[in-house]
Amino acid sequence: MNLLKKIFFIDFIKGLSLTFKYNVSRTITMRYPDEEKWLPYQRFRGLHTLNRDSQGRELCVACELCAKVCPTQCITVIPMEDVGTDLKSVPRGISDRIAKVYEINLVRCLFCGFCEDACPTTAIRMGRDYELACFTLDCAIADKKKLLTPRDIPAEFEGGFVVKAKFIRNDEGIKVKPDLSKKKRWW
Amino acid sequence: MPDVNTLIEVALIIVKVVIVSMILFSLPLPLTWLERKIAGHIQLRLGPFRVGPHGVLQPLADMIKLMFKEDITPYKADKWLFRLSPIVAMVPAFAVYATIPFGNTVTVPFINKEISLHIADMNVGILYVLAIGGITVYGIMLGGWASNSKYALLGGIRASAQMVSYEIALTFSCVGVVMIANSLSLVDIVHTQKGAILGILPNWNIFYQPLGFIIFLIAALAETNRIPFDLPEDEGTLAAGYHVEYSGMRFAFFMLTEYLAMVTVSVLSVILFFGGWNSPPLVPETLNNLIPPIFWFIGKVAVFIYFFMWLRFTLPRYRYDQLMTIGWKILLPLSLLNILITGLLLI
Repeated sequence: MNLLKKIFFIDFIKGLSLTFKYNVSRTITMRYPDEEKWLPYQRFRGLHTLNRDSQGRELCVACELCAKVCPTQCITVIPMEDVGTDLKSVPRGISDRIAKVYEINLVRCLFCGFCEDACPTTAIRMGRDYELACFTLDCAIADKKKLLTPRDIPAEFEGGFVVKAKFIRNDEGIKVKPDLSKKKRWW
Repeated sequence: MPDVNTLIEVALIIVKVVIVSMILFSLPLPLTWLERKIAGHIQLRLGPFRVGPHGVLQPLADMIKLMFKEDITPYKADKWLFRLSPIVAMVPAFAVYATIPFGNTVTVPFINKEISLHIADMNVGILYVLAIGGITVYGIMLGGWASNSKYALLGGIRASAQMVSYEIALTFSCVGVVMIANSLSLVDIVHTQKGAILGILPNWNIFYQPLGFIIFLIAALAETNRIPFDLPEDEGTLAAGYHVEYSGMRFAFFMLTEYLAMVTVSVLSVILFFGGWNSPPLVPETLNNLIPPIFWFIGKVAVFIYFFMWLRFTLPRYRYDQLMTIGWKILLPLSLLNILITGLLLI
């Protein structure tokens, strides 16, 4: 039996068929910055967002709880009163107290998520952006304007997929813009 | 003053030589790419992907890199031999192609002349190929000796021992084919493989000489220093074997030799056992007239090249004593047995 196996190269053929199977199967390499991108799950803790309510008012009331709970003290909140300017216009926040300055130092932030746990109005939430590299240190400080802009990936979008993406490189840094329509499981 | 016809013949031969050597010089570029791609896909990777679409320009980038690399000659190395040996290894690899027939005769437009697709139809073609192919090992040995390095020397010694052992089995496995064809000329060997057995199977020597083919394939693998017999450049124990001290273009010459050797054994197995440029018999006549015979030749060679690369990423390396055992105790008696059986059947 052993001799027959040797004469007809049974083991060799077994090995060759296995490698051929792998040769024609799909590769596990993700072409990450160029063509594909992995979208994180909803529970992922990436770049923070400041949310608005359905009428477009800022949810943040500048209570400074996030700044207090932050273990690296990377959040700076300076509150201000938001009354008396114009009563007819839509107020900017949900109460008469909003943040004058809201800054997160992303270099120091360790993305623990304590700030979103502490927030009483669910204003601050961790988003799903994880490409935070850039050329200068200016962009490492996320100000209120940056935090209030809506993100590419909506909060209700379920993650854990690989999608087609486009690699964009400009002066501010690099971004990989996902195309949410085509989802694909990655192994 | 020779007459015009002789001059045209000479010019044609020169043109053929130039074209063949140009093709052979550029052949390692796609082959390195292919090898890395196959390696990648077998290991579930992608292989080179960044330079050009699907990384096809990667070998060009590598070539530029190799050209600009510093050409180091080791201290206390035998300088003259060190510089000579890549050339000694490379020239025979090219010289082999003087007698390889790539296809039947073709009529070239404009000059309306029948041209045979081989440089020379020697009547001892197969002998010439095996003899010249065997010279390559001198380059490897000299390179290993001249480098003044233990690893290179061991690689060179291993190469010489391996070549001596497997050259015998390789040559004997070709004898069966020669006996069937009644000729040593490669063109004649291909011509005898025309037609079909029972109308279905092609009349190729593989069906008459299965044992001879297996011996030829294994011995050829050893001759080309490829896995599972790549002991001369055993990365695990000898760093890079005989070319450990080489860099830049000299290293590239050794790589070129190695790839050309692989192409040579693919071409030889196609010519000897797979009917050269003959098409398989079940191909319809109209299609056969449309496709030039050289297509079949290149296609078969490509299959063999893929097979060698596939094998490389499947099998581990043999131990040195196993290599010798396979060569002397198994392949040599079997190839003699093959000659005996062929002789008995031909009577």
